[in-house]
Amino acid sequence: MNATRPPHAAPEKTHLKIGFVPLADAAPLVAAKRLEFGHAHGLTLELSRQPSWAALRDKLLAGELDAAHTLYGLVYGVQLGMGGPRQDMAVLMVLNRNGQAITLSNRLADALAEHGALPRALAALGRKPIFAQTFPTGTHAMWLNYWLAAQGTHPLRDIDSVVIPPPQMVVALTGERLDGFCAGEPWPALARQRGVGRTVIRSGEIWPDHPEKVLACRRDFVARYPNTARALVQTMLEACRWLDGAGHRKEIAQWLARPEMLGVDAALIAEQLDGRDASDRARVKFFESGAVNFPLESEGIWFLTQFERWGMIARRGDYREIAREVNQTALYRKAALAIGVEVPAAFGEPVFVDGRVWDGGNAAAYVEGFGVRG
Amino acid sequence: MLRVLLVTDTDKPIGDLRDTLARLGYEMLANPATPQALHHVVERERPDVIIVDTESPSRDTLEQLAVMNATAPRPVLMFSSDANQQLIRAAVHAGVTAYLVEGLAGERIAPILEVALARFAQEAQLRERLTQAERELAERKVIDRAKRILMEQQKMTEPAAYATLRKRAMDQSLKLAEVARQIVAAAEPRDHANHSRK
Repeated sequence: MNATRPPHAAPEKTHLKIGFVPLADAAPLVAAKRLEFGHAHGLTLELSRQPSWAALRDKLLAGELDAAHTLYGLVYGVQLGMGGPRQDMAVLMVLNRNGQAITLSNRLADALAEHGALPRALAALGRKPIFAQTFPTGTHAMWLNYWLAAQGTHPLRDIDSVVIPPPQMVVALTGERLDGFCAGEPWPALARQRGVGRTVIRSGEIWPDHPEKVLACRRDFVARYPNTARALVQTMLEACRWLDGAGHRKEIAQWLARPEMLGVDAALIAEQLDGRDASDRARVKFFESGAVNFPLESEGIWFLTQFERWGMIARRGDYREIAREVNQTALYRKAALAIGVEVPAAFGEPVFVDGRVWDGGNAAAYVEGFGVRG
Repeated sequence: MLRVLLVTDTDKPIGDLRDTLARLGYEMLANPATPQALHHVVERERPDVIIVDTESPSRDTLEQLAVMNATAPRPVLMFSSDANQQLIRAAVHAGVTAYLVEGLAGERIAPILEVALARFAQEAQLRERLTQAERELAERKVIDRAKRILMEQQKMTEPAAYATLRKRAMDQSLKLAEVARQIVAAAEPRDHANHSRK
């Protein structure tokens, strides 16, 4: 090897097609494109809006997309081939933490206020309750399941869990056929604004500072284009850093509000990106001096423990090995170092809404410790 | 007889695919109106095959069933090691996504995919022709507008304005419409100012 080679070798592939689903937490991608943060790293990004997570997944796998803004759990679902295609996947970085919520219909919210406990409020509905989320292996399904179980409601037996496209959830909630949903902002906020539902808990109150959307790609993309992958992480880190600047989220909200993006009032999106009405542990975070973005392996393993908990996969002993291969921590460190973003020296152990702690250690014991399981 | 569910919730006019498949002897299930109805139809009616527009927003509803319900149809993708890979690849390219129950032999689904593919492909071509026509119309409009701007601002004749556009396009190796767009964009703010003064 040439010892004098510059530390930042040129990207092998320079034009990248990046998929996203229109949500407030697509903000880093929109910022990266609008301000062309990629140019400094030799990249031109092309954003490609996707109508569903399934379409985004298929295009990632078919090579029509190079990388994407993706639900954390979805990446692990594809890694294991759960209910669909199997492919070796890569999580390049965490794009945001928090920013999702569980919203109940007014009817159920009233019943909960009256009865105090969720199982009693659900019984008052007089039929099997129906909750919606966004993708079976995704984050919202896991937040919903976790919260229901913590309230003493079995998510697989006591309710019907369906998937509804987020833009349709607010309408569905106005009818009699949906009792609650878990989705990303601004959809819960829109339900509140229209007076058709009330947010009962924010995702950051279930798992404070939980990882939410990640930047994902196929693992062979990282192997073939290592410099491109590193340059992309640098680009997205800079976009996340920019979002922490004063007034910047308001600016990005204007872009997200457009009809071809979310088609939702810019002020509402700005409010959610700002997170002023949420507590500090529950507000959406994109950077926080780099505390947000490291793809911590134990966080990937958590999704595997929940898949096992709900009977979606049989127990296996290699969660740590899977996470080590999926989460590109070495690549992330290199990218962060190159642009002076700090990697936290230590990570805390999250305490969940039910008081349980995930220390990233014994997954089997962790799963067995849950009273409510699939 | 295979039970087939055709989901038609995008603007692709693929509804008549339903009649075609029914004529071929497949049992066609009722088209559900909402994602929730779709969920129930799949659970209750147990289709063997689901045909859906790749761009349909309802696809994640089908994914939920595929993951949580072992008997529900699963997505078929072009990287499957199926003998009909070629056909599936063509279908994916045309924007058809199929969900199949496990164990369904490739040759049984092939005729359905062929018909769907033909319908979707035809639609894709129609669409392509339409966008092409729209693009050409839009380009003609912007070129006309640029010509008028040159004629007014620089007191050129129409042929001279056109020649100027052509020369600039060649010099900058840009498309004529692109140069026209630049001229219109440069003139537009002044136009607005004029209008507001009137």
